Amino acid sequence: MSAPQAGTDGCSHEGMRNGAEPHSLMEHRALRRASLPLIACALLALPPLRPLLDATMTLQMLVQIPLLTTLGWRLAGAVPRGAGDAMGRWNADGISGLVLASMAALPWMLPRALDAAVDDSWVAAAKFVSVPLLIGLPLGISWPRMGFVVRGVFFMEFVATCFRLGWIYLASPGRLCSNYLLGDQQQLGRLLLLIGASVTLLLSARLLFGSFDLAGAAVDRSRHPDGEQPARSR
Amino acid sequence: MATMTLYPDDERLSATERAVFDLYAVSAVVLFVLMMLIGLLMRTAQGNWMSIPPDLFYQLLSMHGTGMVGTMGMITTAVMWFFLRKYVKLHLWAFVANFVLFLFGALCIIGAIFVGNYGALWTFLYPLPVALAKTWSNGAAAWFLLGYLLIGVGMLLFYLDAALGLIGRFGNLGRALGLQWLLSGDIDPDHPKTVVASTMVIIANVLGILAGAVVLVLSLVSAANPEITFNALVMKNLTYWFGHMYINATIYMAVIALYELLPRYTGRPYPITRPFLWSWAASCVFVIVVFPHHLLMDYAQPRWVSIIGQVVSHGAGFPVFLVTTWGVLTNIHRSGMRWTMPSRLMVLAMFGWAAGIVPAMLDGTIAINRVMHNTQWVPGHFHFYLLLGVLPMTLALLYHVIGSREQTTLDSSADRVGFPLYLLGGLIFTFAFLDAGRMSVARRMATHLPEWRGTDQVGTIGALLLVLAMLYFAMRIAIGLLRVKPDAGPRHAAR
Repeated sequence: MSAPQAGTDGCSHEGMRNGAEPHSLMEHRALRRASLPLIACALLALPPLRPLLDATMTLQMLVQIPLLTTLGWRLAGAVPRGAGDAMGRWNADGISGLVLASMAALPWMLPRALDAAVDDSWVAAAKFVSVPLLIGLPLGISWPRMGFVVRGVFFMEFVATCFRLGWIYLASPGRLCSNYLLGDQQQLGRLLLLIGASVTLLLSARLLFGSFDLAGAAVDRSRHPDGEQPARSR
Repeated sequence: MATMTLYPDDERLSATERAVFDLYAVSAVVLFVLMMLIGLLMRTAQGNWMSIPPDLFYQLLSMHGTGMVGTMGMITTAVMWFFLRKYVKLHLWAFVANFVLFLFGALCIIGAIFVGNYGALWTFLYPLPVALAKTWSNGAAAWFLLGYLLIGVGMLLFYLDAALGLIGRFGNLGRALGLQWLLSGDIDPDHPKTVVASTMVIIANVLGILAGAVVLVLSLVSAANPEITFNALVMKNLTYWFGHMYINATIYMAVIALYELLPRYTGRPYPITRPFLWSWAASCVFVIVVFPHHLLMDYAQPRWVSIIGQVVSHGAGFPVFLVTTWGVLTNIHRSGMRWTMPSRLMVLAMFGWAAGIVPAMLDGTIAINRVMHNTQWVPGHFHFYLLLGVLPMTLALLYHVIGSREQTTLDSSADRVGFPLYLLGGLIFTFAFLDAGRMSVARRMATHLPEWRGTDQVGTIGALLLVLAMLYFAMRIAIGLLRVKPDAGPRHAAR
């Protein structure tokens, strides 16, 4: 494998910044970075954590699945540089990764899938593999590549999904899962609405009053080679 | 401060930009003519001068409303893009994506209406699209809703790109809106009004699109599985949060043309002021919370929500309207303005906006709304400010752009006939609606009682004049934009 080169895609691989680095050292680092999330995933899949987090619909959807997604995200740091570059060609602006994560997330929004993950060990296995590897990992790889617009679409869809699912869970007159009670389902609905509203408020406050590091993306460098601001009214 | 040069260099379009802008403009004027023809057909049928089966009437009404609102959104986006690109970096791909998604959305909607027979109007009020599935299929309703989703996504991409540009230059949207100067400090005289208006539109309409994204998908869920039902009142609130913001955004995007062009035609500077910033900041808040005035007859709605609807509807458009009208009138007064088509259209737009607000505020008053809301008073008020306010603002820009590309004066004999024809037709048409409202003629009815037909027939005559004038404007604009080489011999003399 060729020696690592300086990064150009904005990913935070340490090896990319250090210039030439022994291959074995890189492998060691990748293994170390992967080991912690993988061990954590295994712990989540085993007693006592699994039955604890499967005990309620709220815990499964708002704690277990987000934890698995976060661990998958952390795995992105262990992806070898070469593989990252190869995927990058198919992942312009992180859009392919975002689409993959969205598609993989769809089944885990359905009550039937949450139910089946409790009853059927094969479905449970599918969850513990697919959520970190097909949701968290693509998001972790793609996030640094995403620009303002793609992240904006992501947040918009995230908030809209919270409101939609929250309302569906609240509006359904009967239990959607055979393993969970109606009260649990409605509590999940209320929490999803709360999350959607909170994220909307936080994003609005940030956009209105926050500061942003757009890394010069907002300034048209081609028209303003010195980095000066575009001309004001003339 | 806006430029005083009639055709400044920073408004020149590259060949690609010109092609995209022309695509927007020509598509819009063609769609406006087609939608007006549909409107003429409906008024003619209501006046009993021709016969249209009721199911076809409601399809035409759905097409007319959706087409007009969508086209207005599309062309006013082009107005915002045309001027905002001078101050912040906008990516052409976002502007193109908005148009492409608009086209796909329009195809879905046209298919749903004319192939699938959808007829639950542009407001798609839940559960109507699904509940009336005996007249059309759930699939037709789903295609209609999908069309809206595509149009909303296109607009969202454009807004996000514009927000990126604004944040890149001003740091955050609050500073772009000028909030730092509301209470104290020296206002930067070069802070563009276009930036303030665009920021307000982005903040308000992105929230509207969010509401639309929720209610449209839930309606799709309901179309896929009618057993899943939602609270119809909450759905209606979200629908009008989306719909009200979308159509109101067209006014605020179109008025940018007025801020930019008027000083060039009067030859007088139009400085930014603290009241101007206050008015836009206030309207930004009000326009987000004003939507309950559409639900004053929904008696299950909490009383306090209806009261907010009335109070805020009196204040929502008023600050911007007042400050803009005052600014425009003082700018024009004794300026010796040359009366060409862009300046005429701008003054007409101010009149249409000002006069159109009055019946709107009356309808936003609970006591009046209880009597007038389901009458033709309502189409009277929104046709007033759309036909005589928003549309002339956009036509003013399109005429102005023609002027930048050819040496002819924008004051031909045909222009001088077309303009009064449009004004006369518009006034007859809208006052026929308002008078019908006064007489409590019900709106959205395919079949009218003989007693109602007088105003229908007067309205039909007004609509005919409007269609003729708009047909002329459309041909004049399409030929003016497409015939001339890019920026060939632009005229630079201001006055």
